[in-house]
Amino acid sequence: MIRLERATKEVRMKGVRKMIIDNVSVTFPRGKSIGLLGRNGAGKSTLLQIIAGTLELDRGRIIRQGKISWPLGFQGSFQGNLSGEQNVRFVARIYGVNTDELVAYVAEFAELGQFYHAPVRTYSSGMKARLAFGVSMGINFDYYLVDEITAVGDTNFKRKSQLTFKEKLSNSDVIMVSHSTGTLRDYCQTGIVLENGQMTYYDDINEAIDVHESNMKRH
Amino acid sequence: MGRRRNDLLQYSRPTLTADAGGLATKSEPPAPRFVIQRRDTSLNYLTTHARIVTAFVIREIATRYGRSPGGYVWALLEPVAFIGLMSLLLGSLGRLPALGTSFTLFYATGYLAFSMYKGMEGYLVSAISSNKSLMSYPKVSPFDAVVGRLILQGMTSCVVTWVIIYAAMWTTNQPITLQWSCIVEAIAFAWIMALGVALGNTVLFFKFPLYQKIFDIVMRPLFLLSGVFYVPSHMPHPFSDVLLANPVTQVVVLFREGFYVQHGDTGLDMPFLIATSTGLLFVGMLLFTIFPVARARD
Repeated sequence: MIRLERATKEVRMKGVRKMIIDNVSVTFPRGKSIGLLGRNGAGKSTLLQIIAGTLELDRGRIIRQGKISWPLGFQGSFQGNLSGEQNVRFVARIYGVNTDELVAYVAEFAELGQFYHAPVRTYSSGMKARLAFGVSMGINFDYYLVDEITAVGDTNFKRKSQLTFKEKLSNSDVIMVSHSTGTLRDYCQTGIVLENGQMTYYDDINEAIDVHESNMKRH
Repeated sequence: MGRRRNDLLQYSRPTLTADAGGLATKSEPPAPRFVIQRRDTSLNYLTTHARIVTAFVIREIATRYGRSPGGYVWALLEPVAFIGLMSLLLGSLGRLPALGTSFTLFYATGYLAFSMYKGMEGYLVSAISSNKSLMSYPKVSPFDAVVGRLILQGMTSCVVTWVIIYAAMWTTNQPITLQWSCIVEAIAFAWIMALGVALGNTVLFFKFPLYQKIFDIVMRPLFLLSGVFYVPSHMPHPFSDVLLANPVTQVVVLFREGFYVQHGDTGLDMPFLIATSTGLLFVGMLLFTIFPVARARD
């Protein structure tokens, strides 16, 4: 369960202020995946960071029960001079999981072959993405945060990733930002529409999508 | 640190890899058998951050000297080469050092005390900016990066100091009795000061990029003004007071008291050193706590 209580967040960027959420109270129940909808710049990614805990609220508080992931497929943390394996070890240490098991899991999942032991700077972007996705799948979370799911790899790898992720979701939930309504319908049961600093929770993702689409038509 | 005790983990059911239709397709990789399942009690909180700090230290050792061959050995070689070169240069001027008979020891004590502060401060101030991407992990707290570097730099500089001091003591024919209390105190105050300045500057550099430029320029002559290759109290009167008002000079003076028996006033002012170093730490921590710049967007 994740609950926002009278939460307010305003982002200030080079003098420009933008109210993301204004005094919002909402509860996301465990067991249902949530799609986050809103126009460009509404603050969906910011909200995801608040949920992750990498961004602080200005006012109000957030209560998290359960383990929340970093954004799925995040690869910014990979140090180019370290090998893929060393980078995986680092994440394992941070999250307190067995390093050898995670290293073995990612080795099998990411299918990097010899490159697994080569510095990440030598990787192609596809290899980096496979490594990142493998690490995300290797640690079990209660909530997976997804900011625009991106398919990586060839057809086989895509199918495997999708299968693994779907299987994860039998025990975990996903909080997903996407502009693709098809993807949202595919993964999420409930939805949130972010508009003008207000956040509305819908039990049914289809309803959320309808509201979002009518919002978009108004402007 | 990598292995957790099994009782902290909750094992999930093993995954079946057989295909429903019996078709010979490639089997899925096994689902990991571990689940993070711990409550954030304060002790767990501590062990979690101890674990993250350890991960940072290991990562820094592997990456600090990046692609240069030899890697972390350079942390030792650099200061050895620098001190050797400088003492050779200064010694070739032919005079006796201001204290003792060995230029190498005199210069090494000054330089090592100075770099206890300067090396630490310079390394800590970039702890957040060079690990910015890791702040995307919710588990990582910005302070972990700072503590990780503090521990690594602390251990490194202690080893470096130990090796160089004992090597330098071969170059003098006088017997030396080390006053460990002075040495340890000097190192502690240097680190406290460095941590304070680095934490404060992490915030200020982010908020005021111009201040960073000014700070860099103003601090450039610090090496000359910290009593590294002279004895501040031997300087002419008004000038020596100005030099001794620099807390880094005080660190150097205190450190040297651990090596040289000196008669007369060395200019050491312990209350002043304690007040400035703890004061800087307080202000630094205050700024770092109030302004969470580590995860702010550029």
